[in-house]
Amino acid sequence: MAAGGLNLLGRAGAWLGRYIWSGWAGLAGLFCLVAAWQLGHELYGSFILPAPGETFAKVQQILLSPGFPAIAGVTAERALTGFALAAGIGTIAGAAAGYSFATMRILKPIVTVILGVPPIAWIVLALIWFGSGNGSAVMTVVLAGVPISFAGALEGVATRDRSLDAMARTFGASAVTRFRTVTLPHLLSYMFAAWTTTIGSAWKVTVMAELLSNTGGVGGELATARALFDIPAVTAWIVVTVIFALISDFGILHPIREAVERWRSASLPWGVKR
Amino acid sequence: MKLALHGVGHSFLGRSVFEGFQLTLGEGEVVALLGPSGCGKTTILQIAAGLIEPLRGRVERAYRRHAVVFQEPRLLPWQTTLANIGYGLAASGMSRSLRDAQAAARARDVGLLPEDFDKYPAELSGGMRQRAAVARALAVDPDVVLFDEPFTAVDVGLKRALQDLVIAAAETRSFSAIFVTHDLSEAVRVADRLILLSGEDGRVLDSRQVAGQRGRRSDREIFDMVDSWSREPEFAELFDPRRQS
Repeated sequence: MAAGGLNLLGRAGAWLGRYIWSGWAGLAGLFCLVAAWQLGHELYGSFILPAPGETFAKVQQILLSPGFPAIAGVTAERALTGFALAAGIGTIAGAAAGYSFATMRILKPIVTVILGVPPIAWIVLALIWFGSGNGSAVMTVVLAGVPISFAGALEGVATRDRSLDAMARTFGASAVTRFRTVTLPHLLSYMFAAWTTTIGSAWKVTVMAELLSNTGGVGGELATARALFDIPAVTAWIVVTVIFALISDFGILHPIREAVERWRSASLPWGVKR
Repeated sequence: MKLALHGVGHSFLGRSVFEGFQLTLGEGEVVALLGPSGCGKTTILQIAAGLIEPLRGRVERAYRRHAVVFQEPRLLPWQTTLANIGYGLAASGMSRSLRDAQAAARARDVGLLPEDFDKYPAELSGGMRQRAAVARALAVDPDVVLFDEPFTAVDVGLKRALQDLVIAAAETRSFSAIFVTHDLSEAVRVADRLILLSGEDGRVLDSRQVAGQRGRRSDREIFDMVDSWSREPEFAELFDPRRQS
């Protein structure tokens, strides 16, 4: 029992080590971006583009300020609620459309229309409908995110392997079992791609909605910084937003994907790491 | 009688594939369905498996459960070999530990090694995947096994080994089977009886008992049978290189 626990702990440790190690390549890319940013700063000066160092000092100051958790909490709540609703509605509707040709024919044009309306227009409408509060930001995130999850789920279900489904049917597998064992694992690979895009856009759209409706959160801070011509604060809040998006992607979605899609590395040249 | 097809006919997009097909599969009997590609033998198998509802005629089943071995292994890429072999058992609601034990036993029967049990299908060779597919069918302890050209894609040596495996399993587990193939020597090797279908209109050209007991026929006997039958006009279509499709 103790040996089993230790073994499990060892495996978890090895996985964590590999996960962090795989981050080096990503960090190298990010540092290239920072170098280009520094170059831009040296060409155009602090007023147009504050130096990365200056910005990161400001970021640290923001992160340590007492008001920060409340501000971040407001934005995070809106972005994550919007993401959860968008991913839920989009995935279920998309999967239904993938199974039923009639549903697909009806929903597809609706989704195209929703996709065609710019998020900024939704904000204006949402402000009229909901006033300036949580509702406007969340609704805008949902409307911006639903089509992405919808398209992913539709594609995932439509491209499921029917021959595997037939195999499952010959063993008398119920529709629920067939969905769980045959369609869902295939669908998930499409969904993770869609959800990654959705969660990224959730942060962006939330901040945008907050800035335009002046309803606090990170967007509200950004509006204040702009009004005060505090350019380092503007870039610093942008960096903070990006950090949030990175945390939600690499901290939440990626580890889940790694765990669920372990089989995928079986066909890679280095195989499954055991 | 285990399985009977009464006057079964089917068409795709209005084009009739075959009509009035009659087959009675006896207890412990292996029937080979032989014919060139496009003669509808796979469709007959899918009707027998309940994957397709026949447009005409009816299917009579007098058994508990069947299993199908397809031309491709059709393993789930996201499940390990052992989980794949236990798939039919999982679908019928057997507990994890019980089905793992049963799947491991069947995996050993078909010559898979314990170190392969945790591998994913992508990590197995083509032959091992087809072995796993055979094990998955045998794991549910079927009364009727339906083989749909199962060994077309494997090399000659392995094909023989897999045929022997099927012959031995049919012996020890005493299931009945329909074995679809386009290879006359394979049919003569594994079957008690063979039914020859026409590539033109899917009608039955010939139906005959194979002499001797399956699994006991020598290579010489099989060769002589194939050699003499292939000269008969009924079998000409199987070997006709000018035939369309």
